[in-house]
Amino acid sequence: MRRAPGLGRPGGRGVRGASAHGTTHAAQPCQTCGDLAEPMRVLGVDQEVGLALCLAEDGRELTVDTALLGEVLAGESLLVHAGAALARIGGERP
Amino acid sequence: MKFVAEFRDAELGRALAGEIGALVEPGRSYKLMEVCGGHTHSIYRYALESLLPDQVELVHGPGCPVCVLPMGRVDDGIAIARRPEVIFACFGDMLRIPGSHGSLLDAKAEGADVRMVYSPLDALELARRNPDREVVFFAIGFETTAPSTALTLRRCRAEQIANFSCVCNHVTIVPPLRALLESPALELDGFIGPGHVSTVVGARPFQFVPADYRKPLVISGFEPLDVLQSIHMLLAQLADGRCEVENQYARVVPWEGNARALEVMAEVFELRPHFEWRGLGFISNSGLRLSDAYAELDAERRFDTPGIRVADPKACQCGEVLKGAIKPWECKVFGTACTPERPIGTCMVSPEGACAAYYTYGRHAGAAARGAGEVRREVIA
Repeated sequence: MRRAPGLGRPGGRGVRGASAHGTTHAAQPCQTCGDLAEPMRVLGVDQEVGLALCLAEDGRELTVDTALLGEVLAGESLLVHAGAALARIGGERP
Repeated sequence: MKFVAEFRDAELGRALAGEIGALVEPGRSYKLMEVCGGHTHSIYRYALESLLPDQVELVHGPGCPVCVLPMGRVDDGIAIARRPEVIFACFGDMLRIPGSHGSLLDAKAEGADVRMVYSPLDALELARRNPDREVVFFAIGFETTAPSTALTLRRCRAEQIANFSCVCNHVTIVPPLRALLESPALELDGFIGPGHVSTVVGARPFQFVPADYRKPLVISGFEPLDVLQSIHMLLAQLADGRCEVENQYARVVPWEGNARALEVMAEVFELRPHFEWRGLGFISNSGLRLSDAYAELDAERRFDTPGIRVADPKACQCGEVLKGAIKPWECKVFGTACTPERPIGTCMVSPEGACAAYYTYGRHAGAAARGAGEVRREVIA
């Protein structure tokens, strides 16, 4: 599976709302701390390690832990928060 | 993106606002609290208050975990971050939260190795890549974020990564909600319930709100139409004389929550007897710490921390804002001594904080509306 560029590189691609000095900007949703998860679409899955490559609304790609949902499929819409998929959105499966 | 754009439709928003207006009884006022900072952010970002009738007032609740973190916990984190062997990893919002002697960002400027991460998994990756350093993750958040921390700690143990540990500041949503409801000064008619917390815990834990306190609660999504529909559902309950937990966010929130997430949280965490909340004081059984089974990954046991309770700055009225007792602009230092660039209080730091959200989106429109004595009707999205 393709891993998301920047995963594990703080300040790299995949850090939402980060400004140049490394803090979130008030105009952006809270990065991770609160109750603001985001919908993402699954691009690819590594079922063995429980990780999926996901696409966010703004085009970012992230590697996401899918252990809380069991088996996920490419094309599914997931609610992702702090690197973990919390729920399927809409209940539809491709 | 599917499930996003259709919930930002301006025409539907206006129509929904009209239906909300039709539910308002003449001479009656409605005070609704949105529990989540995420809702606060959406309300200001999309100017939703300007679409509502004057009789409907939205009160901002304590659901931003950054905003409720007391200064003493920040000091504890900074003490660990200053250790030369430590790489200290935290979410971006945490960097500027003031401790009693500066923030993590200040500590970083003075040489501490503080790094911003997007997720706990990123922090674990830092530990893999830096085996000669101690990587400490500063965990914070409600039940939305706690499963991610729990999964990471489970991975850490499975991979036997010895140089990773966690300062656990996770909190739970029900105890502060109950504390608010016990507050005699706060008169609320209903709650806009936490959407993403509920993906984990489900709707059941909120049934005490109508059962014990006779207040309706509607679990809500975060897009503008979600919030407006939730307000409509609350007003409909009040009009019908009903008092229930309803789930507006059914496209994401299962009634029973996520059993796997609850299971991993139960394995990794246990309740603290007490945990301090900024503005709310100590609340029993409201914070999480690592369970005995994961004690070796607990940074508070691995490193010495001051553990000293620090009083909030006198000028700061975050406590009153968090309890919904005052509006952000009613704080003495709002927008003058306290701004997002130089925050005094936590509510001005996180984008989910009521003060930061209002400062960014609402202050000009709000001041104009208050000055003119009328509420502007604005377009959402």
